[in-house]
Amino acid sequence: METFLVALGLLLTGGAFPLFTHRLFNSMKAGYIFITAVGCLIGLYAVVLPLRNPEIMTVSWSWLHLFTLSFSIDSLSAFFLIPIFFICPLTALYSFHYMNKEQQSGRTAVNFFFFTLLIISMALVVTAKNIITFALVWELMSLSSFFLVMYEYQRDTTRKAGYLYFIFAQAGAMFIFAAFAVAYSHTGSFAFDQFARIPSAAKLIVFFLALVGFGSKAGVFPFHIWLPHAHPAAPSHISAVMSGVMIKMGIYGIIRLYGLLAVTDPIFGQTVLVFGMISGVLGVVYALGKHDIKKLLAYHSVENIGIILIGAGIGMLGVSSGNRAMAGFGFAGCLLHVLNHSIFKSLLFLGAGAVLQKSKSRHIDQMGGLIKNMPITGRTFLVGSISISGLPPFNGFISEFLIYYAAFQGLNQNGSTFILMMLSIISLALIGGLAAACFTKVIGIVFLGEPRSANVAGAVECGLTMTAPMVILALSCLVIGVLPEPFINLVFLGLRDMQGVGAVGPDIIAGIARNLAFAARLFLGILVLSTVLRRIFYMKKEVSRGPTWGCGFTLPTVRMQYTGTSYAMSIVEFFKPFVKVNTSYSGINEIFPTKTTYASRVDDVAEIGLNKAIIGPLLTVLGKMRWIQHGNIQLYIGYIVLTIIVLLLFI
Amino acid sequence: MESMLSFLLATLAAPLFPGIILKVKAFFAGKKGPPLLIKYYTLAKLLRKGSVYSTSTSFVFKMGPTVSFATALMALLFFPLAGVKPVFFFHGDVIVLFYIMGIGRFFTILAALDTASPFEGMGAAREAFFSTLAEATVFMVLILFYRMNGSLSFTDYFQSQNPITLMSPNGSLLLFVVVSMFMILLTENSRVPVDDPATHLELTMIHEVMILDHSGPDLALIELGAFYKLFFYAAFISHLLIPAKFAGGAAGGAVFVGTLAMIYVAIGVTESITARFKMNLVPKYILTSFALVTFAAILTTMGLV
Repeated sequence: METFLVALGLLLTGGAFPLFTHRLFNSMKAGYIFITAVGCLIGLYAVVLPLRNPEIMTVSWSWLHLFTLSFSIDSLSAFFLIPIFFICPLTALYSFHYMNKEQQSGRTAVNFFFFTLLIISMALVVTAKNIITFALVWELMSLSSFFLVMYEYQRDTTRKAGYLYFIFAQAGAMFIFAAFAVAYSHTGSFAFDQFARIPSAAKLIVFFLALVGFGSKAGVFPFHIWLPHAHPAAPSHISAVMSGVMIKMGIYGIIRLYGLLAVTDPIFGQTVLVFGMISGVLGVVYALGKHDIKKLLAYHSVENIGIILIGAGIGMLGVSSGNRAMAGFGFAGCLLHVLNHSIFKSLLFLGAGAVLQKSKSRHIDQMGGLIKNMPITGRTFLVGSISISGLPPFNGFISEFLIYYAAFQGLNQNGSTFILMMLSIISLALIGGLAAACFTKVIGIVFLGEPRSANVAGAVECGLTMTAPMVILALSCLVIGVLPEPFINLVFLGLRDMQGVGAVGPDIIAGIARNLAFAARLFLGILVLSTVLRRIFYMKKEVSRGPTWGCGFTLPTVRMQYTGTSYAMSIVEFFKPFVKVNTSYSGINEIFPTKTTYASRVDDVAEIGLNKAIIGPLLTVLGKMRWIQHGNIQLYIGYIVLTIIVLLLFI
Repeated sequence: MESMLSFLLATLAAPLFPGIILKVKAFFAGKKGPPLLIKYYTLAKLLRKGSVYSTSTSFVFKMGPTVSFATALMALLFFPLAGVKPVFFFHGDVIVLFYIMGIGRFFTILAALDTASPFEGMGAAREAFFSTLAEATVFMVLILFYRMNGSLSFTDYFQSQNPITLMSPNGSLLLFVVVSMFMILLTENSRVPVDDPATHLELTMIHEVMILDHSGPDLALIELGAFYKLFFYAAFISHLLIPAKFAGGAAGGAVFVGTLAMIYVAIGVTESITARFKMNLVPKYILTSFALVTFAAILTTMGLV
């Protein structure tokens, strides 16, 4: 625990450092990155002990003489600390070349400071041990990330996105605090470990209130609306951390609360599972429909949170039915996907940031052929895409396999569990296929083919500090995919202190890990063999280059290439009731048509619903209340006096 | 040893069977048709040639054929043939294999998009869409098999104590599976009525248009991979059809090859007597196969079987 606190202390020092040194732009960045990296490394070292040692370490202070702030690291906290301390220093390193505007030195320094606050608050969220502590650090996390999103505050869209995020973060926090209040009213204690004593009816309320709150942080459909706005607005390395790490805090909240409440009723697992399936499928469908590369990635976060929740839901149902393999593998798949998603999603966001910086465009239909000019970014992005599509031999497949395995274990039961398991397997298959479709679109349109604009054609590879983190993350994807044994063991270690999830036989785990590793290596081996075979076939053969076969057409232009819009449209239209596709087409109505326009936009039904059902009526009601705010100071004082009198009379 | 031998035999024999389809189609058209070994001649011809690469392409284009060939080989390595155990197997290999085939498709699509050709992009979009739907059917079949047999491995499906065949006590459910797997076979291997391997208009193609720019040994690898994939699906269906008592020995091998040939004949007949669907009907066609298997899976919960 001391090591952990030392790490946080060092991080805080690192965060304060740029505030004093912002006049020396490059040394400020270098110093900040160095201190942050060292702090995170110490933090990673601090995680090792609680994972190995079953003893739970706790530290607490008294605050304002009324409350105790206490933190502890058990195996689950330790597991969630790993992505925090692994991803954050890499994104910090990335910011060295990414934040390259020296005239904004002061603003960059403030950005670094809040970034540190975000790292520290996330680390504290997963270690908080009572209600007050959790509420404090949760708010700190939301606020620091709000300031990070607002980096480019002069832009109108950024401000809007920032406020939207702020409202969602605060409304979500309200739900969480309400849940805590209900819990407190039954236990009379701030401590988390008293939650198991709550009567079961109240447990339902606590869990579902908190599910809304945590769900809106995690980006569960339909509480995900802030994600596709906030991620594109924030600088890319911030999006990487927010999407890769911060939204997982919502997942942590759900799993932690489930463990604390020690419930076995299937309704918890069923709800989580259904939310997971909806998020998963609709997330990826919307991602297909979006053409802003960062918006698209944001929707993929919704999808992956869905996959994570499917794992968690299956695990919970396993606990309910006493099926240990189902419980263990469900939660294990869920946790491993948390780790995996943090790796490949930050990789993809960093790649998107590099593309954005060089091509000066966000719309994928204006890019193309970037893999030739940006070979490292292109190759690492390719690795990230394969991983996020859940394809072997990369890491996404390992966690999805564990979830599949758990779901198949649940098929032996009859009734609702069978139906739910069936649906979750089908949704996983569908999500996998659609994700692959979406990422072939991204890679194919952005990195392959011919450049569609001059900026893109002139793009160059970005600096070393930007490519290095991407290479490290891409290698991590491959390592987890090819050597899954230690990582599968790691997630089961992480589950050790979870109540209700019984241990799964180590032989079964080892067997599955070994088989997965074997399949991945075998595939790589065969791939190498096939490549050699291909080489042999091409020995002493004539190989030449020419233009692409245009099916007889001899004057092709780059504008004729298939676009992301056309690539995805048939799939998106298939899901029409859940997706709103708006198209405007001017049509061709003359014999010699002049200018023809076509535009299409995919709208989020959740957003439309929110606007219609909540914001519209709210604005109407509040508009009618406007007379309260008249700007007359005497009357405002009158309000205060009136309130005090009313309070004195009735309380 | 026996497993390795059957694997090698399968890799060598796979190009033979598509010749059967051509013969059947020729018979229906009243023609003589190409020789049965035509696919071997084609492969030999392609392997002798060099290649022309488009200036638009990158290394991804060259990876496409290799990856799709490797994935098809993987499928054969894990699949039991004619009562002989496959070279490798483990509990859960079905999921791994269908995902490995997914990565083959991933690279085929990327290679198509790499050429910057609008036609190839069109084919890629269709392939991505239809194969996603087909995947749902395949996983439904896996669900049904798990209910019937409690396993997640091809070897256990077809060679355990309680093998999955039409002749088993609850085999009637497999009628649904046979029909929908045949539909999936046609979809995934770009046959009529979903796709037409013999069509001449790029606009109407799915798979064929994606490989327009591949030539020489690259094209040979793609073709060979496609033969293996078709062989894999056909073998899958033959296992369902063959009664368990014909599992081993020379007789079992003969029955297996015979059934396999019959399936290729069925493909030929289907191609001869049906027209291909309009593109917008294909999703419905695939969903029909999904509905059939779902029906069978639901029936297992009723206690009827």
